Amino acid sequence: MTTAAPVQSLPAQSAPVQPLAVVGVGVVSSAGHGLAPLAALLDGDTAPDPAVEGDPAYPPRPVRPVPGFRAADHLGRKGTKNLDRLAGLGLVACMEALEAAGPAPAGLDPERTGVVLATNTGSIAGYSDLLYETLTLEKPYLINPGKFSNSVMNCSAGQMAIRYGFKGLNATVAGGRSAGLYAFRHARLAMATGRADRLLVGGAEELSAPAAWAWHHAGTLREGAPVGEGSAVFVVSRAPEEHALVDLLACEVGYHGWTGTTGGAAERRAPSQVLADAVTRALERSGVRAEDVETVSLSAGHHIGLDRIEERAVHLALGRVPERVRVADVLGETYSAAGALQLAALLAHWRSRPSGTPRIGLVTSVGHDGNAGALVVRGRA
Amino acid sequence: MPETPVRRVVITGLGAVSPVGIGVKDFADAVRAGRVGIGPVRSFDATPFPSRKAAEVAGFEPAAVLRNLDPDRWGRSALLAAAASRLAVEDSGIDARELRAGRSGSIMGTTSGESAVAQSLGGQWVTQGLKGLEPRLVGQMPAGQIAGAVNAELGLSGDAQTIPTACSASNYALGYAFDMVRSGEADLMLAGGADSVNRLTHAGFYALGAMAKDLPQPFDAGRSGIVTGEGGAALLLEPLDHALARGARIYAEVLGYAANCDAAHMVHPDATSIAACIRAAHRDAGVTPEQIDYICAHGTGTPTNDSTEIRAVRQVFGDRLPPISSIKSMLGHTMGAASGFGAIACCTALEQDFLPPTANLVETDPELGPGVDCVPGRGRDARVDIVQNHGFAFGGNNVITILGRYS
Repeated sequence: MTTAAPVQSLPAQSAPVQPLAVVGVGVVSSAGHGLAPLAALLDGDTAPDPAVEGDPAYPPRPVRPVPGFRAADHLGRKGTKNLDRLAGLGLVACMEALEAAGPAPAGLDPERTGVVLATNTGSIAGYSDLLYETLTLEKPYLINPGKFSNSVMNCSAGQMAIRYGFKGLNATVAGGRSAGLYAFRHARLAMATGRADRLLVGGAEELSAPAAWAWHHAGTLREGAPVGEGSAVFVVSRAPEEHALVDLLACEVGYHGWTGTTGGAAERRAPSQVLADAVTRALERSGVRAEDVETVSLSAGHHIGLDRIEERAVHLALGRVPERVRVADVLGETYSAAGALQLAALLAHWRSRPSGTPRIGLVTSVGHDGNAGALVVRGRA
Repeated sequence: MPETPVRRVVITGLGAVSPVGIGVKDFADAVRAGRVGIGPVRSFDATPFPSRKAAEVAGFEPAAVLRNLDPDRWGRSALLAAAASRLAVEDSGIDARELRAGRSGSIMGTTSGESAVAQSLGGQWVTQGLKGLEPRLVGQMPAGQIAGAVNAELGLSGDAQTIPTACSASNYALGYAFDMVRSGEADLMLAGGADSVNRLTHAGFYALGAMAKDLPQPFDAGRSGIVTGEGGAALLLEPLDHALARGARIYAEVLGYAANCDAAHMVHPDATSIAACIRAAHRDAGVTPEQIDYICAHGTGTPTNDSTEIRAVRQVFGDRLPPISSIKSMLGHTMGAASGFGAIACCTALEQDFLPPTANLVETDPELGPGVDCVPGRGRDARVDIVQNHGFAFGGNNVITILGRYS
């Protein structure tokens, strides 16, 4: 056995980070396609009529679907037959992000192009249909094998790689409401360690009756808070890009969900403190001062208790709460897609208010599950 | 080109909650002996299925291992991951306060997340409708709870990232955690994965035609497929300097890894792409094919996987293949935990000087070509210095890790 020699704990380095350039964005939300309708919705436009309102399969709670969305309308029929809605939303956002980015630079190696996508559940609709079948069919092993292989949580990331020939790393990440920030963090480390040159990074969420019921039962959303869906995907480049939309700076996370007797009262920190520390660390590693943060894109619009925790954390870290963007107020709870849609909302908000100078934004996230995170974003002049 | 100076990373703690034993000693003894942990399915009613075997962790009592998690509040996969991580920390001898004080966290892979919880919710749906779902279980469902459970149990305040990249997920977790410690992004990391036996996975692999008629027989001429398995696998990654300073037992050094994607098909593996992943892993680790002493195969036991895997290995190694074996012959296919168990088997092979075997082997498939040594039956005494651990997955996600004896 090892000896219990006293060893000083090793503080991990908090090295400054290199900016990562966002060169394209694709957004599919209940506002429509792209940043402009999202900006309009954030500025008070009325949301499109939600088609499934009043559907008896859903709980008594508003929903915010992507109106009229059918993946095949955008992607064609090839390869979309067994695709669930979740993969469809992600693939369309991916396609639109690639179109927005324009042709890939000459010499870009497909083996160094990859995907980092956030999901906590995969397609709940696809999975629960199969689950229902395996529990009710006389011969449960006669389920559709194509649907089964698409029910894995990494289906969307794999489908993106197949459709666009991305042969590099292909990651799917989960972390509750912070899953999107984990995706940005994952992409950052993969690029910092030289494992990829270009990554499609984002998240997706689909609306379904089982998912809406799950939120309804979970009891964490305020009464009347809508459940939504959508996807945002960003083309992120390791090399500096002259025409980047924004640069992604540091992304830091923390966990506050200790349980039982772990650590005792003395070592425990409040969720707001854990998030505030993540913000402070992210700013420090980005070389950004607290007073430079112009806008914060918040996550917890309609979660009981969380919204106050999140704003308190921002106040703790910055000494004030800057201009707020609350995408959940307009799109509803979009869970695995939330982090990516928060970044999209920050871009949409900035784009509708052009500034002559570079500016700094913050995307924050906190969940009842113990996850918290913060991403620093630099807008170009 | 890394941005920051790198540190060497070693594995100093192992935790296994597996169908062949709980704790690294029982796991290593069973693997070395070629003991098979497969039996009749107990966790769900398998009577409607033609194949009714699975590799379950029959004796798993979460409360016997866990100190902080309330087993009623977490799903089976989360509990398996947390228990494996608790065992890995105990195995490492590291001080719990020191672990809590550093920037430490967990990266956990999974294929189906909390599939046993989903199965219970599915039952409630069938009998009571969606209105009848139990809120307690709903909260346990998200895959992120798996790494969350590890952080909650051990009191870690750093990353709690779950990587659901299907059956290569724990190798991915190991590689990513390696990058975190190596680059200074974290101090100490638990890496591994967890999955639970469940009816849907059983049905799905059967529907794909990938289920074994009886036992899994990787590399055998008569192999017919997989047997679904479950478990939790965890490895503690630590900076070398820190491990040396506290006099830790070092199982292995993580030399490098590579992850790539076939980008061709969701289910069928691609030999050329796997070969590219092996080459990239060798480059990353700074090793050449001649230096590899052993390959812990993905080795599912389906006709397609094993022949594709050997073809890929040949592309890199030519006709001088290192011994290559499949522990799935004993553990079944533990899905998101599989390559984590592979990494643990590799660590014990380095520590105890043996090659893990392929059980259930009657006749090595002649169609795999000459020179395939899959270590039939029982473990074989041998000194190994550098080993290669394979993980492939639906979605075309290949991840290969390279571990070496620390010297």
